[in-house]
Amino acid sequence: MSSKRLLPLEVIDQAIGSKIWILLRGQKEVVGILRGFDDYVNLVLEDAIEYSMDAHGVSTATPLHTEILLNGNQITVLVPNETPEGSAAAAAVH
Amino acid sequence: MSTSTEKTTHRKESILELAKMMDTVVQVKCLGGRELKGTLKGYDDLVNLVLEDCIEYIRDAETQMPTDRSRKLGLAVIRGTQVSLVAPQEGAEEIANPFVAAEDDE
Repeated sequence: MSSKRLLPLEVIDQAIGSKIWILLRGQKEVVGILRGFDDYVNLVLEDAIEYSMDAHGVSTATPLHTEILLNGNQITVLVPNETPEGSAAAAAVH
Repeated sequence: MSTSTEKTTHRKESILELAKMMDTVVQVKCLGGRELKGTLKGYDDLVNLVLEDCIEYIRDAETQMPTDRSRKLGLAVIRGTQVSLVAPQEGAEEIANPFVAAEDDE
């Protein structure tokens, strides 16, 4: 094997204390500072912002202003140190 | 003692051989309709995945069908509970929808 295998939960563990971008089932997304998580990948996020997409593809951001517990059973993808804005800037047709 | 050896021989193994796909580009479909592509950098027993240079195909707002547009995610962790398909990118090619053509003929 050329490179060491990365364990998913270790990658999330390394993201504690930094910004993390969560994609949920459906269209919703959440960005916040990761404070902690458990075996079910329930997350504690600080200064979370919820992004939801309407039927026309327009995204609206709702700041939640507080520490939140995000239930793990809706979480699909976790992206450490990235935001939807940063990704949009790099968006490309391929 | 015999029971313990039986246990080791009947150890549950994953039906997915993800080791073969390590460091190759894979397509991942998730429950809820998200579709991703990236280089498989790691996984665990629960099929949580680590994808490097991951992109997500942007879905049409009305139909929810993935389009040919994508956005960059970077290094991403995919939850095993939400993974419905993992397929190697190599050897896969997109073909025209044969069912749409069949309908036009009628």
